[in-house]
Amino acid sequence: MSMGATPTAEAAGSVAATPLVRITNLRLEASTPRGTAHILRGVSLDIGRGRILGVVGESGSGKSSLASCLMRLLPTNMTRLDGEIRFDGTDLLALDEAEMARWRGRRIAMIFQDPMTALNPLFTVATHLVDVLRRRHAGISRADALGRARNALTSVGIADADLRLAAYPHQLSGGMRQRVMIAMALLVEPDLLLADEPTTALDATVEAQIVDLLDQLRRKFAGAIVFISHHLGLVAQLCDDVCVMYGGTVVETGPVAEVLARPRHPYTRALLECEIESDDQGARLVSIPGEVQDPVAPHVACVFAPRCKYAQDACRAGVPPLVAVGAQHMVACVRAQELA
Amino acid sequence: MNTTRDSQTLQPPLVAMRGLSVVFGGTVRALEDVSLEIREGEIVGLVGESGSGKTTLCRVLVGLTTATEGTVEVGGEPLAAQLARDPLAFRRRVQMLLQDAVASLSPRMTIGKTLREPIIIHDLPREAALQRLEQILRRLGLPPDVLAKFPHQISGGQARRVGVARALVMQPQLIVADEPTAGLDVSVQGELLNLMLDLQQELGLTYLLVSHNLNVIRRVSGRTAVMYLGQIVEEAPTQQLFDKPAHPYTAALLSTNPAIDPQRRTRRIVLQGEIPSVVNPPSGCRFHTRCPVAQPRCSVEAPALEAVADGAPGRRVRCHFPFSLDLQR
Repeated sequence: MSMGATPTAEAAGSVAATPLVRITNLRLEASTPRGTAHILRGVSLDIGRGRILGVVGESGSGKSSLASCLMRLLPTNMTRLDGEIRFDGTDLLALDEAEMARWRGRRIAMIFQDPMTALNPLFTVATHLVDVLRRRHAGISRADALGRARNALTSVGIADADLRLAAYPHQLSGGMRQRVMIAMALLVEPDLLLADEPTTALDATVEAQIVDLLDQLRRKFAGAIVFISHHLGLVAQLCDDVCVMYGGTVVETGPVAEVLARPRHPYTRALLECEIESDDQGARLVSIPGEVQDPVAPHVACVFAPRCKYAQDACRAGVPPLVAVGAQHMVACVRAQELA
Repeated sequence: MNTTRDSQTLQPPLVAMRGLSVVFGGTVRALEDVSLEIREGEIVGLVGESGSGKTTLCRVLVGLTTATEGTVEVGGEPLAAQLARDPLAFRRRVQMLLQDAVASLSPRMTIGKTLREPIIIHDLPREAALQRLEQILRRLGLPPDVLAKFPHQISGGQARRVGVARALVMQPQLIVADEPTAGLDVSVQGELLNLMLDLQQELGLTYLLVSHNLNVIRRVSGRTAVMYLGQIVEEAPTQQLFDKPAHPYTAALLSTNPAIDPQRRTRRIVLQGEIPSVVNPPSGCRFHTRCPVAQPRCSVEAPALEAVADGAPGRRVRCHFPFSLDLQR
C-alpha cells in the first residue's frame, strides 16, 4: 500500500516541514429555521505530510463538518463556506465541482463510521474494489483489478479473500465491512486519508483489531491521515498530532503526547479531568457545567468562556487567536501564558 | 461510598439468578446457565460485547423476556410468580433505564404526560406521587418548564434525566441501567454518574449497570461480571478484575481500552477472528477459537464457572487455565 517513490511516513519529517494541507480561517454556515448556524467559526490548522492528526471534540465541536469540508461533501442547507484549504498548493475551495470530483477518490479518500451505510448493498465486495481501481487506473483489465483487489483484502487482514470478494455487504460482519472500506480507501492511494470515527460502531475487541490494522498500515502509508474521534485514549495511542475542537473552533493543537501531558487550554484540561482513568471510587466524577453555545449565537468572543472557570473580561472582548506556547503547540486562549 | 453490604448478612440477595438459560426459537442460545447474585445496595457492573447476552439478561430481570430454564428470584421470591400474581407491583420494584433515552419517550406526549402516566397506570395515591415527582425533578435539576415540552425539544442529557425521573417516581428497589452514558459527551457523563451514585445513597437503590465503557464500570461498580457468548466468564470485585483479570477474554477486553496516560497503558492483546454466532457456539470453552492461550483441552471440555483458586472471596472464573494471559504494564 505504499506510494511508490514518495518517502515513508518515518522519513516525512515533522509538521514544521510544508504541511500537506493548510486550512486557513475556514468558516461554514448553514441555514436553519432558527437562523444561521455557525458550524465552523474560522478554523485554521495544518495537516503534516506522513503524520496522523487526531481531531477530537464533543457534540457541536464541528469535527465531522471539518472532514466534510475537506471532501467538499456538504449538506444542501449550507449557506456559506469561506476560507482556504490549500492542499499541496491548490485551494480546494476555489475549484469548481467537476475539478473537485477529480480530487475525491483520487487524492483524498475517506473511511466512514458506519460501514453498512457506506457500502452499497446491491454490489459485491469485488465490485466495490474494482470500481475504485478502475477510477484510479484508467483502462485496467478486470483480471488485473481482481488480482489487486484480492491483495488489498489480504493486506487488511481478511483471510479467504476470494470468498469475501463474492460476498455482499450484509453477509459480512461489522469488522469485516470496515476492513473492506479501509481496503477501498487504500486502493485509491490517496495523499490524504480521512477516517471519521471508524471504530466507534464496532465491538471493543473488533475495534482493537481495526486499530491494530490502522497502526500497522500507517507505517507503510506515506500520505497523511486525519483521524476523527471522541475517544482521547485512541487518539493518544494512534496519532502523532492532535487538534482539539470546541464549538466550531480549534482550541488547541500540537504533538499528541505534549498536548495530553501538558494541556494549555482550559477546555482541554477540563476534558482530561473528566476522563475517568483513576480507580478512586470515593471521589466525585468531574464534568464541565453548562452546555456548548448555541451555534446560532454570533461568534464575538471565546466560545468556551461561558463554561470556563478562568474566564475574564478579556475573554469576552474578542475571539482569542491561536498562539504558540511551545514547539508546534498552539492554543487559542488569551490567558494561556498566565495559567501555565 | 458503600457499594456492598457486609457479606456475612443473613438476608437473601435482592436478585438471585440460578442456572438461567434463554433460548430463542430453539436455536439461538442467548443465555446459557447464568448464575448471578445482586445484593441490596450494590452496583454490579456487567460488561460484554455483541452476542454476550447482557441485553437478554436485562430483559429477563425486568420481566420482558421469559427464561427457558433456571430461576430468577427477586427479594427471595421467584420473578415469574410475582409477575403472575401482581405484575404492576413487580414493575414498581424493578425499573429500567433504557439505552436510547430519547427513543424511550413517546414523541406524541409531553414530558409531563409521560411522567404522570405511571402514576395513573399504577393507581398511585395522586397527591403524594405528584409531590414526589416534583421533588425528583428538582433533585435531577430538571426545570419545571420541561414538563410542557416534547421529547424533541429537550437535550439528550435532559432526556436521560427524564428517564431517571420516570423510573424513580415508582420508588423502585432495583434499577437496571442499560448503557446510561452511551452517546453522552465525556464532559457531561460525570454529572449523570454522580447523580446515580447520590441516589443510591439517598434512596437505598441497587443497580445493575450495563456498559461497554470500561472506565465507567471501573469507577462506579463494586463488583463486575464479564459475559461472552451467553455465559458469565468471570466475576470479581471490580478493583481485582481490572488489576488482575483471571480470564483471557477479560484481559483482552481490558486491553482494548487505551489509556490517555502513558503510565497506565497495558500491552495490546489483539484477538483473532470474529465473535462467533450464538446459534452455533464453539465446542468446549466458547472462547477457545479466539483465545491466545488456548490448550487442546479447551476445545473439548467446557469449563464451569468456579471460585478462583487463590482464595479471593467473590471471584469466579470460567477457564481451565486462569491467569494465563497477563496485562503486563
